[in-house]
Parts: sequence; C-alpha cells; structure tokens
Amino acid sequence: MSDVTRAEIAVVAVAELFRGDGELVASPMGTVPSLGARLARATFEPDLLLSDGQAYLVDGDGTVEGWQPFRKMLDTIVPHGRRHVVMGANQVDRYGNQNISAIGEHDRPAKQLLGVRGAPGNTVNHRTSYWVPRHGRRVFVESVDVVAGVGYDNAAKAGAAAQRFHDVHRVVTNLGVFDFGGPDHVMRGLSLHPGVTEDEVAEATSFPVDCTGASTSRLPTAEELHLIRDVLDPAGMRDQEVPS
Amino acid sequence: MADIVSLADGVGELVHDGDVVALEGFTHLIPHAAGQEIIRQGRQDLTLVRMTPDIVYDQLIGAGCARKLIFSWGGNPGVGSLHRFRDAVQHAWPVPLEIEEHSHAGMANRYVAGASGLPFAVLRGYRGTDLPEHTATIKWITCPFTGEELAAVPAINPDVSIIHAQRADRAGNVQMWGLVGVQKEAVLAAGRSLVTVEEVVDELEPVAGQVVLPHWAVTAVAEAPRGAHPSYAQGYYERDNAYYKYWDSIGRDRDTFRTWVRDEVLAGRDSADAAGDKEGVR
Repeated sequence: MSDVTRAEIAVVAVAELFRGDGELVASPMGTVPSLGARLARATFEPDLLLSDGQAYLVDGDGTVEGWQPFRKMLDTIVPHGRRHVVMGANQVDRYGNQNISAIGEHDRPAKQLLGVRGAPGNTVNHRTSYWVPRHGRRVFVESVDVVAGVGYDNAAKAGAAAQRFHDVHRVVTNLGVFDFGGPDHVMRGLSLHPGVTEDEVAEATSFPVDCTGASTSRLPTAEELHLIRDVLDPAGMRDQEVPS
Repeated sequence: MADIVSLADGVGELVHDGDVVALEGFTHLIPHAAGQEIIRQGRQDLTLVRMTPDIVYDQLIGAGCARKLIFSWGGNPGVGSLHRFRDAVQHAWPVPLEIEEHSHAGMANRYVAGASGLPFAVLRGYRGTDLPEHTATIKWITCPFTGEELAAVPAINPDVSIIHAQRADRAGNVQMWGLVGVQKEAVLAAGRSLVTVEEVVDELEPVAGQVVLPHWAVTAVAEAPRGAHPSYAQGYYERDNAYYKYWDSIGRDRDTFRTWVRDEVLAGRDSADAAGDKEGVR
C-alpha cells in the first residue's frame, strides 16, 4: 500500500481516538476528524453516535437515527461526560493547554481568533482530543497566550472541580499521534506517521517531545482504504486539509 | 398584546443608541434583516450580545454600530474568520470594540438566569482557563451544600432582544420550530423584544417541536419575509451556503465592505415610515 497518503494515515489515526468509546457522542471538528469518526463508526466502533452538526444523530450514511438538538448538548450530554470532542487548536503547549481565543494580549490582540467557544466546558467535563493539520512551532508553543482548553497543569491547580472529568486524550497531527503520558503529564510521541522522523517532530515543536517510545502509525486496512476513498470522501476533501 | 409593526418602526422604536442588544438564533432563524435595519438607522455604541456572532454581527461591527461584544465564538461558519470583527478588535476600525468573552455554556446559562429573574448562574466550566483573568463577569462561588467551588456568571438582561421566527398571529403570539437556540431565554430575559417573522397569519397551526412565545412576552412583531437570509427558515427556505463564502470576499476588505453597506444596505432605505434618525453608517 505504498500509495497511501498522509491524509489517509491521519484519518485512521483520528478513527483510533474513538476506539473503545462505545455509545457516546463524537463531536469531530474539521474534515479529517469527521472522516475519522465516520470511519470508526463504520468499522470498529459501531455504537458511536454522530451528530449532523445541528439537531439529528445520524449514521455514517447520514440516515437519521435520533433527535439531539444542540441545546440538549448542554443539558444532558456535556455535563455527564458522554462525549468525545476532537477540536482544532491555534496553540497547544506541553501540558495540553489549548488556545483558540487570541494571539497576543487578550484586550488588543495581534490576532483575534474565533473565541473559546465550548473549550472551557468541554475540557473539564468530558474527553477532548485535538487535531492539528500543520504541526509546527507556531502551534506547539512554550506557553499559550490564552488558556481556552484546560491542560493538565492548570487542571491540577484548579482542583477537584476541574479534574473530576478532565481528560485531554490525544493530539493527532500531520506528523503523528501524541498524548500527555510523560512525566508531569507532558506531551510525548505515541506514534509517528510512516516516513516521519523524531528530528522532524523536534524541529516542528517549540518544546521537547519525547518520541523514543513512539511506534509507527498504522496503515489503513484494505477495507478502511476502500471506505475512505470510495464511500466517505470520494471528492478527496482530506487532501485539502493534509496535502501529500 | 404585542404590536404588529414595520421592521423600520420596530427597530426605530425599540433599539436605542447605547443599548445592550441581543440578536439570537443558532445557525437557523438568524435575524439578518433586523441587523441590517439597525445599520440603516445608524445606531451607535451598542453592546451586542450573541452566543455565536457570525455574519450578522460582522456587518453591525463593520458598520460601526457596536462598542462592545459579549460572545463565545465569532466566526463565519464553515468558511473562516469574521474580518470586520477582527479588524475592530485588532485595529479599532471603524471604532474600538471591547470584548467580553465567555464559553458557550457560560452564555447559555447567563440567558437562562436572565429569563428566570435570577441574578446569576452557576456552572462547572472556566476552571483552569485564563478567561477569569480577562473577563470580569466570571467569579467564584462556594456551594453551600457541598463546599465545591464553582463559576458564577451574571444574568444577561438585554435592553432589547431580537429574534426571527417562522410565524406570528395577529395578536403577536410567536411560533418557531426546527433548530432553536436560546431565543426563548433571550426574549424572556429582555426589557423589550422584537420578533421578525416570515409571515403574520390568522391562526397558528401546531407544528411538532414548536416553541411558542405568548403575545404578552413579546413587545413587537414585524413581518420580514426572508428575514433570516442567508441563514434559513425551516419550512420556508434553505440556507444560502454560497452567501457565507461570498461574505468572506466582502468582509475581508474595508473598501469592499463600505461599498456593500452603501449599495446593499443603505440603498434599501426605501421604507419612508422609519422612525429614528437615518444618518447611516459612519
């Protein structure tokens, strides 16, 4: 399978985020996260619940299977932990703090970003992962300008109320898969995508990342490749997010 | 009983310079026509409140109507940034824009508290984030039963809330269905409210999943067909996805935006019965 693209490896890596999740609401944001969630649902996580982004729960083909209007998310899903969000991040630091609010001073930022949206609640209420299509030093920074999604160090400082359901699970990038299982919950490499070296990751990250224990991200199976290419994304939207 | 008025009169009478104004509707039923009427009437120094400021507030902010924004996410859904919003925050153009940033849950809970007549709401979010440092309306409170420390956020009670719904009857009872956000709370929390509707009808036929706002909770109703465009009104028209992409090309540049305001908003100033001043955009 030498023709497997980096985007396809990333889709499978995102699908793997949901392995073992069972019957909970997957909330993927972005093309590759959406494809990953639908791939997981179509293969090894058949109980995963997918939203159409508005009011319905749908299966992988878009067939409606439930009523889940957005406002119910805050009533029933978020506070009970039955959700796994895969969000984007403009900045991430070694402890998993995430920024989508502003670059620079918050009051008069150099770059006003989208705003914290659900990150402050998501990160302390249920499992959250991040998707970074372009792994680089501008994203993986020494310290984020505004903590929107809560990382491990800040959750510990904030105490029990923040830690009870705090679960920053993984970061998937175009270079590899990372978690926060290092000493003091620092980010470490779990697997690097085929062809990616530890030096490449070190070069693209502003803080040290231990990749000594990292394996190689797995390739799609023949069935997964068929699903990605022919069923879930025949138009090849994935290649726009992660160019080969 | 709610008054049935023209859109121009509704905005002219209910929205004043310096007001705290909430335009709500999530993805669906976004009150765009009312937003543009506010621009047309040249309102200034507004504090705009909205969970998800999208194109509707990019237009108001770019036109210089706002001095402050209370929000949790500001983007062009499915497209990218709101360039007028960013220009205002980053470069104070056309006027400085103060921001009060909350999370989605924080905003929703603030509206619920406002609608319930309570001074504040309690939630578990915000712990560990930097927002309490930047946002003065997040404080900590200790639960008297468990001792748990939680976030408290003050009620939002807008001077005026504006929403769009599918229908109203002649008494001003309002009916909406499909995807709804915090419209009900926004109206109940507000001192005054204006509801734009696709049509005013003799009788509201029940619809599954409907939300009905009784006439005594609504100040005024104005008929504004296609008033949610480019968002959608279930049962009336679909979302105009191409417009959201088109907006990126308008909002990206100050001159293109000014031309758009002149040609597409101020040129629509044909309703001669509008109350209030009409100095237009500054």
